[in-house]
Amino acid sequence: MTNAIQVNGLRKSYGAKEVLKGIDLCVRRGDIFALLGVNGAGKTTTLECIEGLRKYDGGSISVNGSIGIHLQSAALPAHIKGLEAVRLFSKWNRTNADASMLTALGTDSIANQQYQEMSTGQKRRLHLALALIRNPDIVFLDEPTAGLDVEGRISLHEYIRNLKGQGKTILLASHDMAEVESLCDSIAILKDGEIAFQGTVMELTEKIGKHYNIHIQTDKGTEHYESDDIGNSLLAILKHYQEKNTMIQDIQVDRGSLEQHFLKIAKGE
Amino acid sequence: MNGFLYGFVLQWKLDLRSRTMLITCYAVPLLFFAVMGGIFTSVMPESKETLIQSMTVFAVTMGALIGLPPSLAEIYRSDVKNAYQANGVPLSLGLILTNLSAFFHLLVMSFILYVIAPIAFDVKIPEYPEIYWGGLIILIAVSLSIASIIGLAVKDTANTSMFSILLFLPSTMLSGIMFPVDLLPKPFEIAGKLFPAAWGYRLMIESTFTVHTLWPLIVIFLAAVALCCILLKKIRTR
Repeated sequence: MTNAIQVNGLRKSYGAKEVLKGIDLCVRRGDIFALLGVNGAGKTTTLECIEGLRKYDGGSISVNGSIGIHLQSAALPAHIKGLEAVRLFSKWNRTNADASMLTALGTDSIANQQYQEMSTGQKRRLHLALALIRNPDIVFLDEPTAGLDVEGRISLHEYIRNLKGQGKTILLASHDMAEVESLCDSIAILKDGEIAFQGTVMELTEKIGKHYNIHIQTDKGTEHYESDDIGNSLLAILKHYQEKNTMIQDIQVDRGSLEQHFLKIAKGE
Repeated sequence: MNGFLYGFVLQWKLDLRSRTMLITCYAVPLLFFAVMGGIFTSVMPESKETLIQSMTVFAVTMGALIGLPPSLAEIYRSDVKNAYQANGVPLSLGLILTNLSAFFHLLVMSFILYVIAPIAFDVKIPEYPEIYWGGLIILIAVSLSIASIIGLAVKDTANTSMFSILLFLPSTMLSGIMFPVDLLPKPFEIAGKLFPAAWGYRLMIESTFTVHTLWPLIVIFLAAVALCCILLKKIRTR
C-alpha cells in the first residue's frame, strides 16, 4: 500500500534563514498524523509546501490523493453568510455540497449568519466544511482547535475521528498535546527545521526512556520524584519514609505525559 | 448556475451589504448631485448642458477609486486570499468579480443620475446618448482598472483610503467637471490629463468617438491591467 504522503529531503529558506533543512516524512494512508514543534520550528511552512501553497527550494513531495486544506490563517469576506460560502466554493469546485456540509459539522445556525458575526469556533467549523467540500482523501488541519472552548474541542475531535472512520488521512499541526495524544496514530517532532522524531506516541515514550513520575503524599505535604527504574525507586522511597517514621497517605505513579516527552525532544529540557 | 455566475451575484450582494460600497457608489454621489446640481444650475445656467456628464464622472470616479480598493484589500491584504487558494478558487477570481460587480453598481448609479437630473434640475439629456453611454462604459472600466492597482498594491489596508483620496481629488478637480480646464494654470491642466476622468468627461460630451480622446484611456487601461497582472502574480507567489 502506498503512503498517503511521502516527503524526502524537503528544504526551504526565507532569505538567508534556512527554515527546513532536508525533512523526511512519511504519512500512512488512513492515519491521523500530527506534526509537532515549538513556534517557528517550521510546521506551517512544511504543511504549506506539502499542500502546494508554498514553493520549496529542494527535495521531493509526493501526495497520493485529493486534498482538503484547513489553514491556520484563513478568513472570508466579512459579509458573506455561511451557506453562501459553502455554495460559492462548492460551485467553483463543481461539487454538490450544500447545507448538509454545515449540518454534518453541527453548525446549521451559521447558514444565514454573516462571517463577521460568527464566533471563532463557528469560523473554524465553516473553514473545515470548506476544506471537505471536495470530499478529499487527505485532510490538512493546521491548528484546527486553536481558540476553541472545551466543548468545541471535544466535538471537533469527534468529527476528526469520524473523518478517519471514513478512511481519510489526516495531517494535523497542533500545539495541544492532549489533542495529539488522544487523536493521533503517529507523530513527527520538528526541531530547528529538522525532524527530531517520527513514530507513534508509544515509540516516543520508549525512545525517551521508561520515565516515571512518583508523587508521595504524607501528613507533611506532597513530594515528587522522577525515575527510570520504578521498582527500585519505589522500594528506596518507601524505606526512606519508614526510617523517618513518616506516615504515607497516598502514592501516585504516572508515565510522563506526551507534553513532557515533546519538550525533552523539541527543547532539550 | 455555474461558479462564476454564482460568484458574481454573490459579490453584488456582498457589495450591497457593505456600507463602504453603498456610501461611495450611491449615497455620496447622490448627495453631491443634489447639492452641487442645485448650485451649478443656479450659478451657471449653461452647466445644464453637461450636468449629467459632470455628475456622472464624479460618481464613477468616487465609486471606483474610493469604493473598490477596500473590497480588494479585504481579499488580497488579508487571510481571505488564503481561503481562496486553499479551496481551489483562482486568486484572480476576487479581482474579476469585485470589478464586475462595481462596474454594474456604477452603471446603475449613472442610470439613476441620467433619469433624475432632467426631472430635478431641468437639465438637458446628452445629445448623443450612444456616445454618452459608450464613453461612460469606457470611463468606468478605466477608473476601475486604476482602483484595482491601489487595492492590490497597497499593503496596509488602512492606507488604501489615503491613496484613493490622493488620486480622487486631482481626478475630479482637474477633469473639467467643476470648471472649464482652460481656466486652470497650465501645469494643472497638464496634470489633469494624467487622470481618466478628464478624458472620460471629454468623451462623454463629444458628438463622436475620436482617436485623440480614446487613445489615452486605452493606454491607461492596458497599463493598469498589465500592472494588476504583475501584482496578482506577486501576491500568488509565496
